[in-house]
Amino acid sequence: MTRTKLLAAAATAALIGVGSAGGAQAATICFAFQDLETEFWIAGHKAITTTLTEAGHTVIERNANEDANRQFEQVRDCIAQGVDGIILIPQDGESAVTIVAEAQDNDVPIAVFNRPPSDLSRGIVVVADNAAIAEQAVDYLVEEALAAAPAGETLTPLIVVGDLGDPNAVGRKEGFYAAIEKHADRFATPIEVASEWDAATALANLEAAVTANPDIDLLFTSSDFLFPTIRSVLEPRGMWKRRGEEGHVLMGGLDGDATACQLIKEGYVDATGVQDLYFEAESAMDAILAAIEAGEAQPNQVIEDPGFALTAANLGEREMDMWGCVLLSEGFLRN
Amino acid sequence: MHSTVKAAKTKRSLGARAADVFLSDYFVLYMSLAYVAVLAPFLPVLLAPANLSNVLSNMWPLLVVAVGQTFVLAIAGIDLSQGAVVGLTSVVGAMLIATMADPVVLANAPVWGLVLTESGGPFGQMEWGFLLGIAVMVAVAAAIGAANGASVAVFGMPPFMVTLVGLISVGALAIYLTQSENIRHLPDAYVMLGKGDIASVHLGPKDTPQIPRRQIHSFVTYPMLIAIAVALLAHLLLAKTVFGKWVLAIGVNRKAAELSGVPVRRVVVLVFVISAVCAALAAVLYSARLEAGRPTLGEGNFLLDVIGAVVIGGTSLFGGKAKIVWTVFGVLFFVLLSNTLNLMNLSSFQIDMVKGGVILAAALLDVLRTRLMRERMR
Repeated sequence: MTRTKLLAAAATAALIGVGSAGGAQAATICFAFQDLETEFWIAGHKAITTTLTEAGHTVIERNANEDANRQFEQVRDCIAQGVDGIILIPQDGESAVTIVAEAQDNDVPIAVFNRPPSDLSRGIVVVADNAAIAEQAVDYLVEEALAAAPAGETLTPLIVVGDLGDPNAVGRKEGFYAAIEKHADRFATPIEVASEWDAATALANLEAAVTANPDIDLLFTSSDFLFPTIRSVLEPRGMWKRRGEEGHVLMGGLDGDATACQLIKEGYVDATGVQDLYFEAESAMDAILAAIEAGEAQPNQVIEDPGFALTAANLGEREMDMWGCVLLSEGFLRN
Repeated sequence: MHSTVKAAKTKRSLGARAADVFLSDYFVLYMSLAYVAVLAPFLPVLLAPANLSNVLSNMWPLLVVAVGQTFVLAIAGIDLSQGAVVGLTSVVGAMLIATMADPVVLANAPVWGLVLTESGGPFGQMEWGFLLGIAVMVAVAAAIGAANGASVAVFGMPPFMVTLVGLISVGALAIYLTQSENIRHLPDAYVMLGKGDIASVHLGPKDTPQIPRRQIHSFVTYPMLIAIAVALLAHLLLAKTVFGKWVLAIGVNRKAAELSGVPVRRVVVLVFVISAVCAALAAVLYSARLEAGRPTLGEGNFLLDVIGAVVIGGTSLFGGKAKIVWTVFGVLFFVLLSNTLNLMNLSSFQIDMVKGGVILAAALLDVLRTRLMRERMR
């Protein structure tokens, strides 16, 4: 056998190996997402497309550019193209219900990644337990706030709320209130700032809220992607301080992105609720591939990501469990 | 000598024939067919029944809005508020006809408790309540259109500025009413208007006793009937009535139309009313297919799609030249373009760039066609 033939045989063996590592036979998956405007979605998109492609599957990507009608049409195009399955990041919970029904009515299995439909009874739904994760993060902030405040002083909390059409935003708000209400006697009625998951809206509303209430003790944002916006409001007012500095506002968020990781390390942010992005992406892919393999056209399953809270106190032990810290260590924010 | 003359005649005749096709009412239809013929060998799924069914399904709501925009462009105007009217009327309709509502999502909305409660909207429990809801949607749209038209016709304000303000303020009102939330739980009869089949087809052999739903394709649908009815009425109005002639006369030369006794102000107001009412009817189709009233419907690149489709069809941005059949073909080409770009797996950014380029090319073609027509008339 010549050297060339040997190399060819080795390459073939390697390819067979890769194919079997993929598990199910090669499938065509439509990955329809609403946009890639935050670190979470970018990392989720990368994890899903890279893993599927490396396992030998074909990925058809559809970016709806935040247009629910366009996403609906794109998914129907995918169905017409004869895809084997669909992974969906919907624009909101309502459009997700319609799109899941459309896919299932056409016998195409569909998995919804991270942003759940308003009705969880249809489709594979991979979702973080937003209320529990938010509660864990805010519990930490509350303990820190109570420890630092003189006895009897009433503290002022503020929450930046997401788009309440998104069940994730609703869960995060519920988690925040659950933590605050455990010590209702020590906290004033929380100030709610609407963001609609939009940085410009959050900026305008937060500026108004902070101007009207400059004595905020605790701030929770429903998504980490708003920390740069929060900084641009607090910094000019002398409220962007590190832990231990006079005037530090206790701050927490949810997502677990690279910016939050860096800000916790620098001391500006105290805690963040972490969604296990890699677990969620893997669960969505595994479930959809299993349904395709089994020939199941309408799989219905809710897969819950329990998540956790990364805090200034447990940073040393759990840092590398948070996807944002992994990205940070790989130089994500240097790009 | 004889053969040279014959060759010249043939050449001239070919050129004249090409010009005939270029100036024909059916030019964009021919272009669409040629486009499909060129791409079909590379994109076999393009002619698959499921894909053709999708193309048609995506065409109907856009056609309804584009028909309204055709009237406005015909008077040398523009209506930028159509998208916002779609959003507002979808919300207004949904809050009236919803069969139930979630207080967790909507309790902060100003309409909560006034119009919308946990048991839905005031018409939500009526059997034909959705028709009342649609009537209110049309009335709201007509009021917005009348305000736009009056501002242009009576106060002489530029349509671009008036409707830009409409786009911002009407859009903001839609978001304010629900605090940016969507209203779900629309009646089944209403949802049928956006996605209901009247006749479906299955092409090919029947391999299994139960034909899979995926192999059954929508053929005649409610949105198809609604869109065709709107287009037909609009065609009659524009092509067969005095009103239509007035519209085109205003687009050619407003001053001359005024001097000829055309009631310019009344016609301009009516044109903007037609545009807004078409937007409201499209809102019915869009909100029904998505099964929710959405304040953000009509945002983003929606206007690009609407104006682009009308301009591609051949309606002049300078006014005075418009036909509904052109708009039908323009919408067909535009939807085909979007569909094929999707099938090529291009990103949404690349798709929008190509669409922009095609619209620019269509505007350029319009200039060339106008020039060619003038030369022929001499």
